[in-house]
Amino acid sequence: MAKPSWHLDRRTFLRGTGVSLALPLLDAMTNRGQAAERSERPRRICSVYFPFGVSLPPDDHEHSEWNWFPQGEGSEFRFTKTLSSLKSLRQDVTVLGGLSHPHGRSIGGHDTGDIFLTGASLKGSSYANSISLDQLVAQQIGDQTRFPSLTLSSDGGVGEPTRSTTLSFSRNGRPIPALSKPQQIFDRMFGEGDGEIQTQRRKLESSGTMLDLVLEHSRSLKRRLGKQDQQKFDEYIASVRAIEQRVERSQRWLDIPKPEIDSSSLALESSPEGPMEYIRTMYDLIYLAFQTDTTRVATYMLGQVAGATTVANTFPAFLGLAGNWHGLAHGAGKKGGYENLGRFDQFLAEQLSYFLTRLKETPEGDGSMLDSTLVFYGSSNSRTHNNHNYPLVLAGGGQLGLKHGQYLRFTEKTPLSNLFVTMLDRLNVSRDSFADSTGEMSELLA
Amino acid sequence: MSRRCIFPLVLLMLQFLSAPTPGAETVSKSESRFKRLIQPVLAEHCFRCHGPEKHEADLRLDNLDVDFGNATSAETWHDVLNKLNLGEMPPEDEQQPSEAQFQQVVDWLTGGLELAAAAKRRSGGHVVLRRLTRYEYNNTMHDLLGIDLDFAKDLPPEPSSEDGFKNSGAALSISPLQIEFYLQAARTALAKAIVTGPRPEVYHHHAEESAPSRRKKEVTSNTVTPDARFVARLLDYPTEGEIVVRVTASAIVPKGEGYPPMRVTVGLRSDVLAPEEKLGEIDVTATVDDPQMYEFRGRIEQFPLPGHNPKYPGVLVTVWNDYDNGERKPLKRARRKKGDDPPPAPASNVPTIVIKSLDFEGPVFQSWPPNSHTRILFARDSEDDQQRYVRKVIQRFATRAYRRPATEEEVDLLLSFFNRIRDESPTFEEAIRETLAMVLISPEFLYLMEPHDGGKSKHPLTDFELASRLSYFLWSSMPDEKLFALAERGKLSEPDVVAKQVRDMVADPKSNNFVEHFTDQWLNLSGLDRVAVNPEYYPDFDDRLKPEMRKETQRFFAEILYEDLSAMNLIDSDFAMLNRRLAKHYGVTGPRGSEFERVALAADDRRGGLLTQGSVLLSNSTGEDSHPIRRAVWLLDRLLDSPPAPPPPDVPELNQGEPDLLGLPLKKQLELHRQKDSCNRCHRRIDPWGIPFESYDAVGQWRSEVLRVAKKGRDTRTPVVASAILPGGHEVDGLEQLKVYLLTQESKRFSRALVIKLLTYSLGRSLELADEAVVESLTTQFAAADYRLSDLIIAIAQSEPFQHN
Repeated sequence: MAKPSWHLDRRTFLRGTGVSLALPLLDAMTNRGQAAERSERPRRICSVYFPFGVSLPPDDHEHSEWNWFPQGEGSEFRFTKTLSSLKSLRQDVTVLGGLSHPHGRSIGGHDTGDIFLTGASLKGSSYANSISLDQLVAQQIGDQTRFPSLTLSSDGGVGEPTRSTTLSFSRNGRPIPALSKPQQIFDRMFGEGDGEIQTQRRKLESSGTMLDLVLEHSRSLKRRLGKQDQQKFDEYIASVRAIEQRVERSQRWLDIPKPEIDSSSLALESSPEGPMEYIRTMYDLIYLAFQTDTTRVATYMLGQVAGATTVANTFPAFLGLAGNWHGLAHGAGKKGGYENLGRFDQFLAEQLSYFLTRLKETPEGDGSMLDSTLVFYGSSNSRTHNNHNYPLVLAGGGQLGLKHGQYLRFTEKTPLSNLFVTMLDRLNVSRDSFADSTGEMSELLA
Repeated sequence: MSRRCIFPLVLLMLQFLSAPTPGAETVSKSESRFKRLIQPVLAEHCFRCHGPEKHEADLRLDNLDVDFGNATSAETWHDVLNKLNLGEMPPEDEQQPSEAQFQQVVDWLTGGLELAAAAKRRSGGHVVLRRLTRYEYNNTMHDLLGIDLDFAKDLPPEPSSEDGFKNSGAALSISPLQIEFYLQAARTALAKAIVTGPRPEVYHHHAEESAPSRRKKEVTSNTVTPDARFVARLLDYPTEGEIVVRVTASAIVPKGEGYPPMRVTVGLRSDVLAPEEKLGEIDVTATVDDPQMYEFRGRIEQFPLPGHNPKYPGVLVTVWNDYDNGERKPLKRARRKKGDDPPPAPASNVPTIVIKSLDFEGPVFQSWPPNSHTRILFARDSEDDQQRYVRKVIQRFATRAYRRPATEEEVDLLLSFFNRIRDESPTFEEAIRETLAMVLISPEFLYLMEPHDGGKSKHPLTDFELASRLSYFLWSSMPDEKLFALAERGKLSEPDVVAKQVRDMVADPKSNNFVEHFTDQWLNLSGLDRVAVNPEYYPDFDDRLKPEMRKETQRFFAEILYEDLSAMNLIDSDFAMLNRRLAKHYGVTGPRGSEFERVALAADDRRGGLLTQGSVLLSNSTGEDSHPIRRAVWLLDRLLDSPPAPPPPDVPELNQGEPDLLGLPLKKQLELHRQKDSCNRCHRRIDPWGIPFESYDAVGQWRSEVLRVAKKGRDTRTPVVASAILPGGHEVDGLEQLKVYLLTQESKRFSRALVIKLLTYSLGRSLELADEAVVESLTTQFAAADYRLSDLIIAIAQSEPFQHN
């Protein structure tokens, strides 16, 4: 491969599959003036959540090979059938057992998806969440990319409190709507925008003025509202303000062309009715977003924990596994139940492996993209309705000082947030604490 | 975490309203009374499970604030009162308080809450500033601009409030993403509404014979069967504007079969494999000797137009025959993907559609510039200079968009924006578009604004605010000119005017929005999309029946509303709203076409009311079998407004570690389930409501045996058991008896629940304690009006909470 050029052509052509094409570091394209930063490789984080927990047959059960957690411990462990697709990635992953959010242990068995990345306490008379891990990172490094973060879910939108369909929560704990349609996600990140640069510039300037006036007007309008309405209205004002800032930022980005992606290898028309293709496409989109340095922060919520409202409930059925996901999880104790749910857990893990493998096979600097990307994967239930012992995988970040190839077991004394503190630190987002953390997770450090 | 049940049923509340109240007791006195008389009883009978140690049902009473002015704790105490009144607490197997102790606690709660409610009536109950929902936004954009596009397609899906509604101000939030899409949608829409340049070229295409298909295996023909379609390929086509497709066709219908539905689709973008989208569908009833012309309209932008790939030029207009005679080919393991062709039915004995010709025309417009343009940029008065003209344009547009006269100040602001961008804009029209786009992202457009002084008291709404409430309640859109004119004349607070206007609005076709959205949300019909039917259990089931089931329920509700029938028909009725396919699915004879029609039911049809409708039965099933618990919860929550508490943390899995229960009748399984204490506590009050549904399988068909599919043909069939003892001790066997029970014993609870749901939807907020009296009075009026929905809607529109904020 030729020596990577630090300055991209206006029409750098990226293949959707991307495997054979090592991308030059894209902040070269973005921060032309900041030579010092160029040598710093982008650090990224992707968090993926799935609902309903996993299959956990007892050790002496005939289907114990369908237990999600590995056999053994430390570096001496063996994947069961469920995570067997991670074998080739063994030195890039750590499986974590025994962890949970202490605040989540006493809330409803269906309510914990909301706090998977926040660790907040939802007790009390009114719902109040707090900032999620990804948004904290986006606050710090989001301004280095075209989009501060990418929030995806199979359901889309925000859902309802305790049944959120997004993993991301803003600084004040407001849910951030997730995108669910591959075509829409693609267009938003890589779409052409309308017309010539001149037209776009005029539109952006006009947007800036417009939003500025709307903002000014809204602030005076707010004073005429009742107290409850004012609180609601603050959301509107904050949103307009955020878009105003984004418009400003877009003006700065205007001369930098969006990467041109050949979409033909992406299944952008896929929908949750074809779960495998759909999930892979969502992973593909995150991969492309990372590869093109369109963003460095992503979340994907595969489904949420209310069987009655999540589109993911039908995933197993489309794969030929009998029944809906919620039912599958509830029926784990039935005859053949552990195996049925285990097969589905295995399917999900295979999609994760697909994503990790793509990252690993994409060279970057003297390593791979995976080496500077943290991928956090898991559920906030062990079994269905059980809010302890989350099944979790942390992958990547080999060049960010993480030690992998382990299966770590913790007791309830260690809050999950300790892991978040460690992840934040690896991403250069230094924080002494996150939510209810009590320290770092030194077991993970190389 | 249980945060619903804000306003649960109060079965016996009424009779306690007259109970002695603490009256003018001072706070300290009431506190001492609590300490002396009440707390000891609670400590003895409640705190063990709802105290410092355990918090069953997420409820802790020992430290719950006894000041009923504290809204949160008052709501919780209200729940407690209900549990006591229903005899649900303390649990049967626990030591019970004496009658006197019991009465003391109930009196204390009832009196205290009533006082607090009275105090609150003066303060709470405001509708929180309410953003337009996706569908309201879309309808409003459509009515405002006269452009029939899907403006909401990029907006994120809406959350539901705790009581299941999507139009609750408190639940609807806004985010930067939405503002971004609103601005985008506004610019797209205005670019279409306000035109520049000469009259565009109109494309005509006339086809008398089907073009060949490029898809392998695809048969094209002028004789359209479920296996063969008619294709017209347009190499030249518009990319913008309204299009018309006229198909002249007839049908050959074999004896005993129904009319073939003709579906017309447009599009095909093979470079990304995007399939065509439906333009319209209609039954072909014309006979071969007298073919008829069928007309379909749409906007070309709504369809997947050809992409960059020159291999697939042109747009396809395709005519399909969607007739389904119920026969299925052998089950294939591979699932169909969305957008794939429907499964072909055997060609024998299936009605065919014969196409004589197909005509395409587009873009069509009655005048140039089109109405959407002249409505905004009307003819300019000769004496007006540009500034005055623009001011008028803004004034008129903003007044419609804000649903009330735009103020001077608002117009000034918009005009100042126009002046700032005019020079930079390539055309006058472009500057106007941008200015009006600003209107469409303003809070006055996106929210239903009812500004008030922020004080605690409620005040009467202005006539314009009332007009909006009415139109968003009954049309899910902005007021029309007539309603706006009534508001201008200040007539909408007069009860007679309101009554007349409501009747007119219900008679308007736009009220279909109310029918669809209210039934969807109230009855949670979208649940249909989230249950996958297992083809091993139901090889004959076609997923295309799901939307028909949804429609059945909507048409059923519509029939009751429009024909002024008693709402008790929702519980049981001697008619159903069916089309051919659904009737066939249910085994009912009658309709020949795809349109829904009223069908009289016989007793052996085993249908009637909501409970036997496929939408309800399927969405509350597992896709393989019935799900008595979900059906019970649905009934309790949606029809009786008595939702059971959600599952507490860490409830164990069913049957874990226990011998396999496969083969036991479901009722038995549930009984075993209830042997576990932790399960029984809730489920003994849930399960009995679901058992009577057992004679209906997952897809809503009648059955006498329960099928369980197992490997190697070891399927089992067990007889249905549908008898259960309801929590009150009443025994019912099957749905017929449950319906009789509901009609005779629970009509009050049901009608009250319907009042609550309808009032909640009409207001866009959850009800509170303070609304109790209104609910009570509306329920009484509803009964007095023989449960006619139209009268209830009028009564709601005239009610205090609807007229005030």
